[in-house]
Amino acid sequence: MMNEEFRMTKEYPIPKSEVHPRKAWLRAWCFLILSSFLILNSSFCPAQQPAPVPAKKPATDGKVWGALVYATTDAAKLTGSSEKAPENQKDLFGRLGKVFMPYTHFEIIGQHVQDVFREYESWVVPSRDLFLKIDSKGPAPDGGMNLHLQVWREQQVLVKTDAVLHPGSPLFIGGPKWRDGQLLFVLDLAKK
Amino acid sequence: MKTPSDENHDLIRWLDGEMTADERRTFEATLQNDPELAAEAESMRQLSESLKTHLPAEMPVPHADFFNSQIQVRIAQMDLDEAREREKAAASTASWFSWLRMPWLAGAAAAAAAFAIAGLVWTQNSSSGTSTIASTYTPNPAVHAQVFHSSDAQATVLMLDGLEPVPAEKKIVGFRVHRAESDAEVATTTLFDENGSIIAVVSKDAKGQPTLLQ
Repeated sequence: MMNEEFRMTKEYPIPKSEVHPRKAWLRAWCFLILSSFLILNSSFCPAQQPAPVPAKKPATDGKVWGALVYATTDAAKLTGSSEKAPENQKDLFGRLGKVFMPYTHFEIIGQHVQDVFREYESWVVPSRDLFLKIDSKGPAPDGGMNLHLQVWREQQVLVKTDAVLHPGSPLFIGGPKWRDGQLLFVLDLAKK
Repeated sequence: MKTPSDENHDLIRWLDGEMTADERRTFEATLQNDPELAAEAESMRQLSESLKTHLPAEMPVPHADFFNSQIQVRIAQMDLDEAREREKAAASTASWFSWLRMPWLAGAAAAAAAFAIAGLVWTQNSSSGTSTIASTYTPNPAVHAQVFHSSDAQATVLMLDGLEPVPAEKKIVGFRVHRAESDAEVATTTLFDENGSIIAVVSKDAKGQPTLLQ
């Protein structure tokens, strides 16, 4: 008997560290449940998430005001837009009337105040039908700004131009005819 | 003794008709005695004919008018820069000490000070510059851009003639954009109204054309 036990022990040694198969299953289940809990916890618990990185505001070279204006000779033909010109553009319609004759009545259909980004393109979109893309080319003397402008009519570029804009000296763009009048685009550089 | 590169050079000159009569006679005699060179000459002649047949003699520059206007702008800018440099150089060579000996200096200084003060007041009460258009380019040849400055309106005018009218039945809807946020990573610009609500998002399609999503 002793000899047999000795022989079996010698031929089939069971190490002390070896775990019983049932215990191994139990341990695997515990590990699975615990890891699932940790994953779920990290997914739903906001305190565990890293703090959101605040968006960095891009550098700007200035600010522009752009407006889409409807010009007509008949006040009854105006669209009834409620848009008002800003305080520094109070004489806008008078100035437009000196250029775009014979139109005598003007109304702002849409307007947009836009930062001119230094490194990215800027869009001035007073309307989805007629809008402007601006690329800054850097400052110009006397507070001006060198710009590359593109006037877009939906997905068609109407004109590309290099311009130097100065505050108080707006750019008037005579656009397409519409109804009994004409659509105009006004772009003015804001004073710094 | 002529090297192969000399022969190639002669061959090209012969093909291009750049040889004198004597050179041509000599080279054509060489061709008759050198079948390998003659075969190469025939091959190159056929290639040259094929190129002349399939390619136009002159290739139009794409968007030539815009290209030319850009070059003119650059030249104008370079001329302006050079003129400024010359003015600076001329100013720096003038001796300040020679001016100090002038007897009318005190009067001139007083006048200059008065002008400077007047100028300062004027610049504070008026715009410091006039907007200008350096160049224009209209991709549609039917559209013509006309630029002028209106002194009465104190504005620069860019008149686009030849545009197709917007259909009368089309409703033009205006926006009132208070601010915009640009996301460079996804190349979009989000437009907000004064209440912080999103009006539209400007992005570009695969062709680089803007699309407005509302």
